Amino acid sequence: MHRRHFLGASLAAGFAALGLRGCGASSPLRFGIHPWIGYESLYLAEEFGWLPALVELVKGSSALDSMELLKSGQLDGAALTLDEAIRVHVEGPELLVVGVTDVSVGADVLVAKSEIESLDQLRGKRIAVELAGVSGTLLLNILDQASIERDEVTIVDAPADTHVGLWKRGEVDAIACYEPTASILLGLGGERLFDSSQLPETIFDVLVVNRKFAERVPEAVRALLEAHFSGLRHLVRNQYDSIYRVATRQGISPREVRLAQASVMFPDLASNRRYLAKNGRVEQVARSLSRMLAREGLVPRTLKVERFSDSQFLPRSAA
Amino acid sequence: MKRWVLGYLAFAALILSATGTTLAQGFQEVRFGIYAYRPDFIMKERYQPLADYLTGRIGIPVKLQVLDQEQMRAALASNQLDFFLTNPSQFLVIRSERSLTGELATLVRKHDGVATASLGGVIFTAATRNDISDLSDVRGRTIASPGLHFLGGFQTQALELKGAGVDVLNNNRIKLVRSHDRVVRSVLTGDAEVGFVRTGILEEMIADDPRLADRIRILNRQNLTGFPYAVSTRLYPEWPVAALPHVDSDIVRRVASALFAIEENYPAALSAGIAGFAPPADYQSVEYLARELRVEPYDELPKLTWGELVGQYWGWLMATFILVLLLTGSMLWLRRKKRELAAEQRRLRRLILSWPQPMLMLRGGEFVDSNRAALELLRYAMPRSLLGKDIAAFSPQTQPDGDVSRQKIQRLLQRVDRGEVVQVEWVFRRSDGSEVWVDMTLAPVHETDEPQPHVLCSWYDITGRKEAEQRQRMAASVFDHAREAIFITDLHGLIIDVNDAYVEITGRARADAIGRLPPLPLEEGTGVFASARAHGFWSGEFANKRRDGERFNMALTVSGVRDERGAISHFMGIFSDITRLKAQEKELRTMAHYDALTHLPNRVLFTDRMQQVMAQARRQDDLLAVVYIDLDQFKPVNDAFGHKAGDELLVEVANRMRAELREEDTLARLGGDEFAALIVNISEPTVLENLLARLLHAISEPVQVAGHLVQVSASIGFTLYPQAEELDGDQLLRQADQAMYQAKKQGRNRYCGFDSAAS
Repeated sequence: MHRRHFLGASLAAGFAALGLRGCGASSPLRFGIHPWIGYESLYLAEEFGWLPALVELVKGSSALDSMELLKSGQLDGAALTLDEAIRVHVEGPELLVVGVTDVSVGADVLVAKSEIESLDQLRGKRIAVELAGVSGTLLLNILDQASIERDEVTIVDAPADTHVGLWKRGEVDAIACYEPTASILLGLGGERLFDSSQLPETIFDVLVVNRKFAERVPEAVRALLEAHFSGLRHLVRNQYDSIYRVATRQGISPREVRLAQASVMFPDLASNRRYLAKNGRVEQVARSLSRMLAREGLVPRTLKVERFSDSQFLPRSAA
Repeated sequence: MKRWVLGYLAFAALILSATGTTLAQGFQEVRFGIYAYRPDFIMKERYQPLADYLTGRIGIPVKLQVLDQEQMRAALASNQLDFFLTNPSQFLVIRSERSLTGELATLVRKHDGVATASLGGVIFTAATRNDISDLSDVRGRTIASPGLHFLGGFQTQALELKGAGVDVLNNNRIKLVRSHDRVVRSVLTGDAEVGFVRTGILEEMIADDPRLADRIRILNRQNLTGFPYAVSTRLYPEWPVAALPHVDSDIVRRVASALFAIEENYPAALSAGIAGFAPPADYQSVEYLARELRVEPYDELPKLTWGELVGQYWGWLMATFILVLLLTGSMLWLRRKKRELAAEQRRLRRLILSWPQPMLMLRGGEFVDSNRAALELLRYAMPRSLLGKDIAAFSPQTQPDGDVSRQKIQRLLQRVDRGEVVQVEWVFRRSDGSEVWVDMTLAPVHETDEPQPHVLCSWYDITGRKEAEQRQRMAASVFDHAREAIFITDLHGLIIDVNDAYVEITGRARADAIGRLPPLPLEEGTGVFASARAHGFWSGEFANKRRDGERFNMALTVSGVRDERGAISHFMGIFSDITRLKAQEKELRTMAHYDALTHLPNRVLFTDRMQQVMAQARRQDDLLAVVYIDLDQFKPVNDAFGHKAGDELLVEVANRMRAELREEDTLARLGGDEFAALIVNISEPTVLENLLARLLHAISEPVQVAGHLVQVSASIGFTLYPQAEELDGDQLLRQADQAMYQAKKQGRNRYCGFDSAAS
C-alpha cells in the first residue's frame, strides 16, 4: 500500500492536533492531507489564513495515513487519488468525491529499457510496479490500451522505494512509477515509454469526504472547497510567489516545483463542475477503475453507488 | 472649438503616418524609458550598458531615459517613448490609460548567483527599535515609502498589513520620499519609524555599505527557499518591458529577441544586476492586488446613474416598491387592529374589574390579576396584597372537610391543567381573621403558546347559605333526636311531620300518623287548636291509648307557628309520656296515708276518714264509734323474739282485726302497738259490743311468730258519735284513748266505753 510521496517525502509531518477536536463549535471537518503538488492549494490556504474554522487539516506523510484514518472514522475527508478513494470506499465508510485538485498529465510514467520502443514490445517482459498504488492503475491502463493480456507479461509487485534498486540490478525491463523515481530512472538510462499525458483525464487527485458527514455538515464541505479554490488561485495565478512557498514546504528548488506543476493540470471551478457532473468524467473513470481493480483482485467488489461524485459543494463562483 | 479639434486630429494623423514611414525604413533612435526606482545617477550607471547592448544588437541607437512617475506619464502621453521598463503596478496604470502591444518580457534579477523573476516588499525598521517586532506593531507608526505607485515599495506591504489588520492608509502617517534610498535614510535618521522598500534594494545598498545590515531589522521575514532576497510580503512578477503601439513591429521583434538573448555574464546584465529577461509573466496577481487595495487603476468604482439603476433593476425596484407599499399597508392595518384590540382589552378589563362577583386570574398557581370584588371579599385594600401569592396563602390550614388547603388546591389545579372546569366550596381567611365560604370555580384559559396556562378563578360568597344550612341541620337534629314527641300540623290540625319520639311514644308509624289528627284530650278535641290560635299555645295533661291499646298519660303543648306576616300557618305540638310520673305520684300518696308494715291507713288517713264519716253520720243521723286498741304485753314479745317477730305479730293481729271488721269500717294503725277503728252504721249497742268481743277474741288467739307460739291481748276503748255536744275528730279519739286506759286499769283484755261522767 503506497501512494504518492512527492519528491522524497522526507517531511516527517506528524499528526498534530489529531484527536484534539475543537469543542464548542459544531464538529469541524477533519481533513487528511499529505504533500503532493495537487494538494498545495490547501496548504497555501492554511498559510494565508483562508482556511475557515470549520475545516481542520490533519497532515500526514502519505496517503496511507489518510486512508487508515478515514477507514477508522478519525477523519471526515481526505485528499487522495481516485483509485485510493475507491479502495477506501469499498472497504470502509462510503465516500463522496466533492472536488478534483489535479489531473495527471505526465506525472505517472512507464520507464522502459531503451531497446523497448513500443508498447507491443512489452510482451514477455518483466515490469515492476506497486500494484496497490496509483502506478498499478497506470500499468493496468497501459496494458488495456495496448491489448496485452495479464499473462503475457510478468508483473513484479514492488514498493516504490525499491524501484531504483531493481532497475540498477537489471532485474526488470520496465517500471511503472511516478516522480521523482521516474526522473531518476530516466537519468539512469531509461526511456519514457508512456506517461499519464497519453491517458488524458484518467488519473485524478480528488478531495473526498465521508458521505454521512457531507449530509450532516454540508457547510463544512463547502468551506473546504472554497479554501481549496482560494489556494488554487494563488498557486496558479501567483506562481511567482507560490513556487517559492511550495519549494520551502517540500524542501526542493523552485525550478523543481515548476517542473512538477507542469506534470499536472489544475482544473478550475468550471472544469470541476464538468468532471463531477452526474455520469461525468470522474464517475466514468471511477466505475471503469473499480471494475479493473476488482478484476485484478485489488478490491473486493466494484462500486455500487448511484453517485460517486457530487458538484453541489462547489462554490457558486470563483472568489 | 469643434473645428479646432478636428483640425488637430487631422494634423496628428499626418505626423503619425510620416513617422511610421521613417520607422519602417530605418529609425534614427529608439527611446527606452526606465522607471527611476533609485536615484538617477545610479539608474543611469547601471542601465546604460543595457542601452548600449541593445544599440549593438538592433543597429539603431537606443537612448536611455530615466523617468519618475510624472515624467513617464508625460512622456507616454506625448509618445516620447518607444519602450519602457517599469514596475508592474505602474504598468497596469499605463495599460489602463492607453493601448500597448502587451508586455514583451519580464525582468529576471540575480543576487548571489540566484536568479528570480519575482519581487516583493520589505518592511523594516531601525535595529534599535525594539518596540516594533511584528506586523501589528506597525499600526500608528510613521512610514517612509518611495510612493504609493510602487508595487514593492508600498502596495505589497499595504496588502500584507491589511491581512494583519493594519490599514496603513488610515492608521499611519506615510512619508512619500520618492526613492528607496531615501526610505532607508529616513528610517536610519529616525524621520520614519518603519520603511517600505522593494526586494533587492537593501541587498544592493548593503553591498555598498555592509554596516547597514546591522542597523536595520526586517519585519515579517518570509522563509522562501530559492528566493535570493530578504522579503516581508508575498511575491509578484518582476518588472515588465513593454512596447508602445507606434513602434514598428520589426523593431519590437528585434528588441525582444535581443532582450531574451541576454546572458547572465553579459556586461549589460552584470551592470544592472540582472540575470536577463524571461517570457512575459502573468500579471493578473498584480491586478488582484490593485483591486484589493483599491489603488490605481482600480481606485475608482464605476459610478452608477439613477437611470442605469432603474433600467437595470426595474423589476427589482418595482417589486421592492410594491413590497414596501404592502408592508406599509399591512403595518397601518395592524396598527388599527392593535388599537381596536387594546380598546377591547381595556373594556373587558374594566368589565372584569368592576364586576360584582369576585374574579381573579391565576398562573402557575399564583394570582396575577384580581378585580375589586375579590379584594373586598378578602378585605384587602390593594391588589398587590394578593398578586404573586397562591390560594392557600389566604386559606386556613385545613378545609372543613379535613383536607390540607395547600394539598387540596394543588390537586384541583392539576385537574384544571388537564382541561377540566372545577367547582368547589372553599373557605378563605380574610385579612381580619374571619372566615368566608365561597363557591369557587376554576377554569383553564388556554393560550396555545403559553408554557403555564392561565386559570380563571371566580368566587361566590355562600357564607349566609352555609350558616342557614347549619341552623337547619341543628333544628333537624333537635327534631330528630328530642326525647319529646314533636309533631307539626297544618292549619286544620292534620299532621304534616312527626319525629322518632312520636313514633316511639304513640306506637304509630310515621306514615300512619301523617295526614291524621294528633292525640288530643277527649273532652276538648280540636278545640285545642282554636285555643292555641287564640292564646298562642295550649297545654294540658291527659290519658291516651297507644296503638297496642296500652294506656298512657301525656303532657301536651301545642303552639302556633307564625309566617312572615305574623299569621299562624302551622301548629307544632310537643308531648311527653308522663305515665311513670303519674304512678310515682300515686305511690307517694299511698306512702303518706298508709302504714308501710300492715298496709292499714295511718293516722293522717284515719283522721281524714273520721272527718268524712262524721259528716256522713251528721247528715244521715247515723251512729258511729271510734275505737282505740292497744296490745297488752306486746313489748315482752318484742324483747324476747326481736323486732321481726314483733312485726310479724303486728301484721297477724292487724289482719285478724281487719277480717272481723266490715267493709265500710276503717282500721288504722296509729303507731307502735296502737290501732284505731271507725265503726259506722251502728244500729244498736249490741252490734258494737259483739264486734268488740270478736276483736278481743281474735287478738287473743295464739300467734306463730319466729317459730314460737305467742299469745297477746288488747285493751279497747270506744266512744260514740254524735253526742250531745258537737265534737271534732281529735276530741273523739281522745275520748276513745281515755276509755282504753280505763280498760287497762280494769285488768286488760276487755273493752270499756267512754263515760263523760267518769272523766
